[in-house]
Amino acid sequence: MYLYYLILNFTTIKPILMNTKLKVSEISKIYPGCIANDKVSLEFKSGKIYALLGENGAGKSTLVKILSGVVKPDEGEVFLNNESIKLNSPLDAKKNNIGMVFQHFNLFETLSVFENLSIDSDKKNEDLRLSVYNILKKYNFKIDLDIPVLNLSAGQKQKVEIIRCLIRNPKVLIMDEPTSVLTEQETEDLFISLKQFSDEGILIIYITHKLKEVLSLCDEVAVMRKGKIVSVSKTKEEKIETLANKMVGENLSAIKKKNNNFKYSEEILKISNLNFRSEDPYETNLINLNFSLKKGECLGIAGISGNGQSELFQILSGEIITDYTSIKFRDKEISKLNPRERREYLMAFSPEDRISQAAVPELKIYENVALNNFKSSNFFEKGLVNEKKIKEHSKKILSNFSVNTDNVEMKSQFLSGGNLQKLIIGRELITSPELLVCFNPTWGLDVGAINYIHETLININEQGKSSILISTDNDELLRLSDRICVIYKGKLSKIMDVNEVTPEKLGILMGGGSID
Amino acid sequence: MSFDLNFIGILIGAIMASSVPLILAASGELITERSGVLNLGVEGMMIIGAISGFGLMVVTDNLFLAVIGSMLSGLIISIIFGLLTQSLLTNHVATGLALTIFGIGMSAMIGKNFVGIPGKEFPLLFVNLKENIPFLGPILFGHSIILYFAFLLPFLTNYFLKKTKIGLIIRAVGDSPTSASNQGINVILVRYSCILYGGAMCGLAGAYLSLIYTPQWIENMTGGRGWIALALVVFATWSPIKVLVGALIFGGITILQLHMQAVGLRIPVQLLSALPYIMTIIVLVVISRDSRKIKLNTPTSLGQIFYKEK
Repeated sequence: MYLYYLILNFTTIKPILMNTKLKVSEISKIYPGCIANDKVSLEFKSGKIYALLGENGAGKSTLVKILSGVVKPDEGEVFLNNESIKLNSPLDAKKNNIGMVFQHFNLFETLSVFENLSIDSDKKNEDLRLSVYNILKKYNFKIDLDIPVLNLSAGQKQKVEIIRCLIRNPKVLIMDEPTSVLTEQETEDLFISLKQFSDEGILIIYITHKLKEVLSLCDEVAVMRKGKIVSVSKTKEEKIETLANKMVGENLSAIKKKNNNFKYSEEILKISNLNFRSEDPYETNLINLNFSLKKGECLGIAGISGNGQSELFQILSGEIITDYTSIKFRDKEISKLNPRERREYLMAFSPEDRISQAAVPELKIYENVALNNFKSSNFFEKGLVNEKKIKEHSKKILSNFSVNTDNVEMKSQFLSGGNLQKLIIGRELITSPELLVCFNPTWGLDVGAINYIHETLININEQGKSSILISTDNDELLRLSDRICVIYKGKLSKIMDVNEVTPEKLGILMGGGSID
Repeated sequence: MSFDLNFIGILIGAIMASSVPLILAASGELITERSGVLNLGVEGMMIIGAISGFGLMVVTDNLFLAVIGSMLSGLIISIIFGLLTQSLLTNHVATGLALTIFGIGMSAMIGKNFVGIPGKEFPLLFVNLKENIPFLGPILFGHSIILYFAFLLPFLTNYFLKKTKIGLIIRAVGDSPTSASNQGINVILVRYSCILYGGAMCGLAGAYLSLIYTPQWIENMTGGRGWIALALVVFATWSPIKVLVGALIFGGITILQLHMQAVGLRIPVQLLSALPYIMTIIVLVVISRDSRKIKLNTPTSLGQIFYKEK
């Protein structure tokens, strides 16, 4: 007994079973042109993990922003243990012991982990350090407190966010799409921690659009669509298909299966001796990559982000030119060519960041289309822009690739993520390239858009075009690739046939392990 | 030999004096920029400080009031910048440029009546020691209180930013205002405070020019020092101590090249005049080339407009 009290004194989170009830009642929030939340009412009790499921733009994020005091609702009330609480600022949420881990981390990259934690703590530095160490020990987190946050992996950053909440002994912990940046292994660790928190009496609300996670982690699920709650149920009673249909609001057509029978044996791309050393300590060096690609084949490159993917993409696209590397594309040496010249050899690229790398958000749709089609000489005559031709061409892309608008004069920033990605992929594919290199093409998109992009990528393989898919989403890689390898700390694993690969194997390789 | 040493001492003293306005203005602007606000109005705030300080001195005949008044006027004019950029969300760069133009014009208008009026002697400290100790005397003693404050300021600023809670909050706001706001920090308040502090320091820098360094009012008397202070902050990669080094180098080479011109070396005058600018940049670039440190010290949100979701 004495020992138990001793432990109690050392841990800041006291294992007292909390009995927390959280209720949102008739919450509405209207933005110009869109009803983000339409009379949303939900009830939560501690001891369970609740999923809030919905596509992008369904209103989940608005609801959690209201619960965390970032956004004020136009109507409605929030009750904590039957008492109405006012959440006018993030401070109010903190005062009411509501903790929140945002999808886009609210961390200060240039400050150290400890500085990040101390910024909103009233404790003395020594006391805070002690309680942080206790949390690290209790949940088996391994984080160096005195390095800047920008040196941490995404999973570690998330742990810092969670620790920040735990310091305040939260009654409610809200996780907004926490796994979008995590690896398989990190996701498993997170789920273990979340279950532990839940057992300790913390009420957990888990926001996601990933159906598998709902089924494996949560006890109850509320589905949101277009700002409304459309269903509340126990996860035991649900299946992936039933949830998907509720989420999308229509029956999803079965997704096309990839046909792995190869028709071609011709080698289209051969990369040898790819080395890259960076001066920038925040870039990853690439060490001796060699691989080749056949016609009609999709090569998947898995890995935790930050292991050299963006450097590899930039070398493939010609944004970075390296010495001594040989890139042979259709028997021509192209390693010294810039992105425009490579496009002329029928390569196409879809970079990771839609907003800042692939498109210029302030430009109109047709202007963005013109940006990478310099070789279509009829777009430009004597240095002048031929708007009419470009607009016709853009309209063709919009209709061929089901972009949800036909207004080519619209600024690209007003397209949703899914539509912008369709536009970008369409812009690349309409020139019928022989090779498409894409990097996280479905990152942050909803199910409908993901399916569309996936089908498009499968189609181009079937037409005998090749693709390289650099992705951090293992489901996507297993679905689309013919062969898969893993990049870890700038080195490439051996390339495996997709049939011999399992998510577990990928997870091990992505964490730097070995499977032989 | 002792004469030579004493001469070098006097020279160093002069260099220190000439770098004071740069240190003051740059230290103030450094705090402002660390909170993510880019105020290009340094030159304007300095010159407003200079004319208000001098004007108040003439009107009240009280140097203390003049110094306080110059700081207040720098602060007041920075409120305009704060209102525009923080409350009305205007572009930092354009607003800062407008502030400089406004400050120069305004000071010229007010200053018309003060041209040609002689300044008042500013009390210097430890004058006895200055004259009695060779070499070190003219370096360490016989300066105004503002100079001592200026040389302390970078160290205080460094300590403030690194060791205090408020300093941490300022760095956090400069790193990511959205995150800070979501953590319950009042970003607008923090940024306003930093803008006002920067304004006050620029006002003080101006007062040093018109009350102590060249005690009189001359139109446009800041002569681009505000721009140098701005450049110092950037080239010193937002480190207060490096700002001090940069200001001393700039002041030093300015004084030295004047002596070289006087000696009549066969180097084009234009090249000599350009020397302080070139050397300061070279030295600062060399001492701050650690890209890791640059990344950690640079306020990521510098110049970005922040507005709160409602």
